[in-house]
Amino acid sequence: MELDKKSSKGKILASGLAPFFLLIIMIAYIFGPGSELLDLGTPLPEITLEKIEFMDSEIQVTVRNTGPISVEVVMADVNDRIQPAAIEPDRFLERYETALVRIPFEWNEAEPYIIGLTIDDGTRFEREIEAAAPALKPDLEFVGFFAIIGTYVGIIPVLIGLLWLPFIKKISKSKYHFFLALTVGLLLFLGIDSIEEAIDVSDENLSSSFNGTLLIATTVILSFLGLYYTSEKLTNKADSLRISKPIAIALMISIGIGLHNFGEGLAIGAAVGLGSIAFSTFLIVGFALHNTTEGLAIAAPLSRGKPTIGKLLGLGLIAGAPAIFGAWVGGFAFSPFSSVIFLSIGAGAIFQVIVIILKWIREEGDSNLSSAAVASGIAIGLLIMYLTSIII
Amino acid sequence: MVLILIVMFGISVGLVFPTLSEAQKEQKTFVTHSGGVITTSGEVIDPVYSDSTMEFDPMEYLRDFNYGKISKLPDGTTVREFTIIAEDDKVMEVSPGVFYNVLTFNGTVPGPTIRATEGDLVRIYFINNGSKEHTMHFHGIHPAEMDGVFEIVGSGGGRFTYEFEAGPVGVHPYHCHVMPLEEHIVHGLYGVFIVDPKEKRPPADEMVMVLNGLDTDFDTENNFYAANTIPFYYQHHPIQINTNQLIRIYVVNMVEFDPINNFHLHGNLYHYYPTGTDTVPSSYTDMITLSQTERGIMEFEYTYPGKYLFHAHKVEFSEKGWVGIFLARDNLSQESVEADYGT
Repeated sequence: MELDKKSSKGKILASGLAPFFLLIIMIAYIFGPGSELLDLGTPLPEITLEKIEFMDSEIQVTVRNTGPISVEVVMADVNDRIQPAAIEPDRFLERYETALVRIPFEWNEAEPYIIGLTIDDGTRFEREIEAAAPALKPDLEFVGFFAIIGTYVGIIPVLIGLLWLPFIKKISKSKYHFFLALTVGLLLFLGIDSIEEAIDVSDENLSSSFNGTLLIATTVILSFLGLYYTSEKLTNKADSLRISKPIAIALMISIGIGLHNFGEGLAIGAAVGLGSIAFSTFLIVGFALHNTTEGLAIAAPLSRGKPTIGKLLGLGLIAGAPAIFGAWVGGFAFSPFSSVIFLSIGAGAIFQVIVIILKWIREEGDSNLSSAAVASGIAIGLLIMYLTSIII
Repeated sequence: MVLILIVMFGISVGLVFPTLSEAQKEQKTFVTHSGGVITTSGEVIDPVYSDSTMEFDPMEYLRDFNYGKISKLPDGTTVREFTIIAEDDKVMEVSPGVFYNVLTFNGTVPGPTIRATEGDLVRIYFINNGSKEHTMHFHGIHPAEMDGVFEIVGSGGGRFTYEFEAGPVGVHPYHCHVMPLEEHIVHGLYGVFIVDPKEKRPPADEMVMVLNGLDTDFDTENNFYAANTIPFYYQHHPIQINTNQLIRIYVVNMVEFDPINNFHLHGNLYHYYPTGTDTVPSSYTDMITLSQTERGIMEFEYTYPGKYLFHAHKVEFSEKGWVGIFLARDNLSQESVEADYGT
């Protein structure tokens, strides 16, 4: 009997592994003796100029090999005129490897430039900058500048939004459901907005070899799953952690919004850093209006708990402060790839928050999520966000 | 919560300041082709040609004239025989690190400079070792069947013998005339054919300059321009000349895609003989404009020693390689070579 059991286990194991073995053999064959069979077509080299920065008397280009074969970067030009340059660490780029090209050049502020790089087979790749702007240096002045922007855009609006708490506490159940649904609508809009932003960054900066849209979809879903799993654990353990369930839910919402605001800060910092927008007070006002609604999302579940002022402040900071960190990273160390990743994580976090709130509404009594309060709440939430987004 | 904030702060600091740790790498200083100075821990990418990496030597080509294998007909006519082999599989480093498929006559771009005296019988044994059809079409006066247009020479060893009387006096291009013509020309199937007058030109330091361009990414725009193929070459390797010695340049414009090219000389003016067909110069200038295959002879002398630029005054071309330097010296050891017509 035992022998039978063992052999049947072995059989199961073998049948599970057999396809893998066959796959490995096939791959080995394709790369080995069978490679000539598939040797069709010519692989075309490709490089992508991911980032262009204007320093003192120098233009710096971050270049990535985004093609199927290794390349050598052999020449740089500005506006299609050959310029001597340096490349660090060296001119040989394996697949996905990056290098920094430094072109000494007396550029003029606010003028358009086309930067070109030529590789060993004579192919030239270029990228256009609409208006040259000096790159930011991570000095204290700008650290402070971004901290202030982050505070205006992230912390203050969220805290203001939290002030709706006493109001929400006093309203009837259906009105409460309405406000919860309103935050769902607001957040839904934010999530879609983040994904759109991520796709924009990916299209503008990343080579198609990154499969930008799929990268974003994968990251969004992984972020959602990770946070959803964590939040379930947290709310289940809420009692043992000596925090009430509403606060646990509010905490998860804060973390989700915080991740989203990190991505938003990143976008603002990058926009300033790359000189693609002039940072106007108008823009800050727009972002602030937009983000006040995030405070409402945190306040909604809290109204059924008994939060202290300290906890409220803490939740507000978790949701708002990441905007500052995001602005620093985006302004001083912009990388399109990490921007896409963070924006996607933010979107996943937002969708996780939406699911938590919907569950909360169901637990509160509206099990079908079909009441007029819920439907109108979501719809109005979306509309509010759309209207405030026009200002930005 | 405080912990989360601290972690966030840590991550952002780490992302912002990664450059600080790399700043310790060894820094090297380079002087670039434009005279700029770069300090870097990496490599310099700059079209500076060093002799060791050079496949085609523009300095050698500059003063290299082929007079052919010489014999006489019973009536006293000089016969000059040349063998020209066309190939189309060569990949040449045309600028440092840039590799480009060139089509060649006798292995170089431009092909060899063929030189004869007016009235000589020129006989060219043409062998096509390429994988495409090619011909040799000479500008000048010759019978229709020697024009290299309808007498296509097949690939893989096809042969044809061109035979004609050298004329008229002047400087002329020769090039392949097989369709697609533009492709065959821009990849390098061209060269210079000089017909000297029977009464010699005055002795001079003579040179050939073919103004050409290279479209390395096939977008019908030239990526490089040069005098004699290699961009910036004569800027790094100035052409040494004597002061108070007549300099004669046979200049041929083979640039495609761009309607015009031009030639500007610094610190001097030159007598210009369009196509070299007349003995009287048409102008005394420091600037000529040349259309496709337009050519001529320039003559000048420097009085003062020093470095003198020559370049396209279509500045785009000079910034893409069509720029060079004459280094004029007093009493340079190189003797003024008496023009030798191989007779």
